[in-house]
Amino acid sequence: MAAALALAVFLGFFYRGVSEAAKNVDEPGLTTGGDALFTPGTADAALIAILTAAPLAATLVTALMIVTGSSMLPEEIEDGRMSMWLSLPQGRLRTYLLTGLAPFVLTYVLGLFLFGGILLITRFFFAFTPRSILQFPLYLFFWLCVVWAAVTTLSILTRKTVSMVITFFMVALATLFGGVYEMMRMFPGKAPDTLITITRTILFAFPADRSYRGLLHSIIPSDGIVSEDLAFFGVVSGVPVWHVFYALAWTVVVTILGYLAFRNRDF
Amino acid sequence: MKALQDFSLTVSRGATLALLGPNGAGKTTFLKVVLGLVRHDSGYVTLKGLSVMSPKARRGVRYLQENVTFPSWITPLLLFRQVERVRRESTAEDFTRRCGELGCGDLLRRNFGKMSRGQRQRIALALTTCGVPDLVLLDEPSAGLDPAGRILVRKLISRLAASGTTVLLNSHLLGEVERVCRNAAFIKNGRLIDAGDLDSLSKHTGSVWVETGVPRKMADVLSRLGYDCRKDDGGVIVKSSTVPDFRKMVRDVLDTGIPFDGVRKKRESLEEIFMRIMKEDGGDVSQRN
Repeated sequence: MAAALALAVFLGFFYRGVSEAAKNVDEPGLTTGGDALFTPGTADAALIAILTAAPLAATLVTALMIVTGSSMLPEEIEDGRMSMWLSLPQGRLRTYLLTGLAPFVLTYVLGLFLFGGILLITRFFFAFTPRSILQFPLYLFFWLCVVWAAVTTLSILTRKTVSMVITFFMVALATLFGGVYEMMRMFPGKAPDTLITITRTILFAFPADRSYRGLLHSIIPSDGIVSEDLAFFGVVSGVPVWHVFYALAWTVVVTILGYLAFRNRDF
Repeated sequence: MKALQDFSLTVSRGATLALLGPNGAGKTTFLKVVLGLVRHDSGYVTLKGLSVMSPKARRGVRYLQENVTFPSWITPLLLFRQVERVRRESTAEDFTRRCGELGCGDLLRRNFGKMSRGQRQRIALALTTCGVPDLVLLDEPSAGLDPAGRILVRKLISRLAASGTTVLLNSHLLGEVERVCRNAAFIKNGRLIDAGDLDSLSKHTGSVWVETGVPRKMADVLSRLGYDCRKDDGGVIVKSSTVPDFRKMVRDVLDTGIPFDGVRKKRESLEEIFMRIMKEDGGDVSQRN
């Protein structure tokens, strides 16, 4: 309920902001003389609106995933109810997945509403064409998979608070170096080797950010005047497919680790 | 530390078995091993011939754990539906009926957060025993219940036994256990030290019990006849050392003319059996460290 309320408030503020901004958007154009070199059009205004809201929305969704994901299994265990669920005629794998997946489903649905709401509100005021609207739910799925797997597995191995803190830290680190990675893509060959190594290691160790960048790229306008140097806005171009499949494989491996810890535990 | 060791127990279908032992003896651990909640390091545990780690083994098996808690925001009916989605063994009517039998039929749509401990315990019992389960494992089922609730639990266990359900009962309330269980297993320091039906486990105490509604009058008369006796609740206890001939004693009681309901050689109560068996095993009957 609280999450839905936060989502509604967020979208309400976003609507208000975009509606005010829409009053000041002219026809797009480029001029070579005078003070203005570039007059943003509706698609560019949409780009700004989306890239302003997206990080905040990502924070909201990530926080929801981490808080609920770190709570579900530990609470059932600490309150003694896991014994009740495991005494039913179902295997431990089914119990683990059904209990652990509930936060994922909740967060994914709210994430769809949140980012979908951003898209719809922006589209209502600014005419634009998203780069790939069909990919957005898929990238959201892969992005949340990684966060879910991390926090769920950690919540089995450590205490709830510790799992939340570690996952938040990993997300923050991945987001920071995800941005660095985008900059490196925009200026290839300019970054020091050490930075390249560190960035790749972090993104390899926690691959959530790549799917988030993919989501970002799929919802930003394809028909704006601003189409280059987007690294400054967080995303250069589409994400290679193998990045996403790697995230999925990572999710599977980490989930298996979490399940093994759960399976071998006494309740 | 071994919670259970050298433990071998076979429970027949339809039996009502009490698990008795001091705190920390391993009674709850035993129940959890039977359900596969706690893994055993060696040996084997089967339910209906199947390994306990197999979900199929738990078909028809119900477990009431000690001090169960429920989310405060959920109602019993909602919880029942969630459980039955997995269990598929009983209907909402079964659950409602059982709640009625346990005096909590009016709580089905109330959130658990608005219930007392005893009310939650009744709901938990109903959830565990509704329908016709094959095996029911109850860990302190009367915990948190008022006297009326305990009576209902006794009736419930008797009803389950009558319908052929096997019941494993872990309880410290020996008076309650004695009234519903025919068999007992005594556990101490993780070991099974004795087991069997209560009649065979119970020894004669060396006393004779004369059941009467006027124990004071009966005790006075018997004392004058040379019997060493004392008044007790509902009757008179006569020391066997002063009863060389049981039949003669029965005739003497008849001759008193005082109304009585029965004369029998007194056997140990479950509490007396418990204390004797624990002490015979050595050491005092206290909590294991």
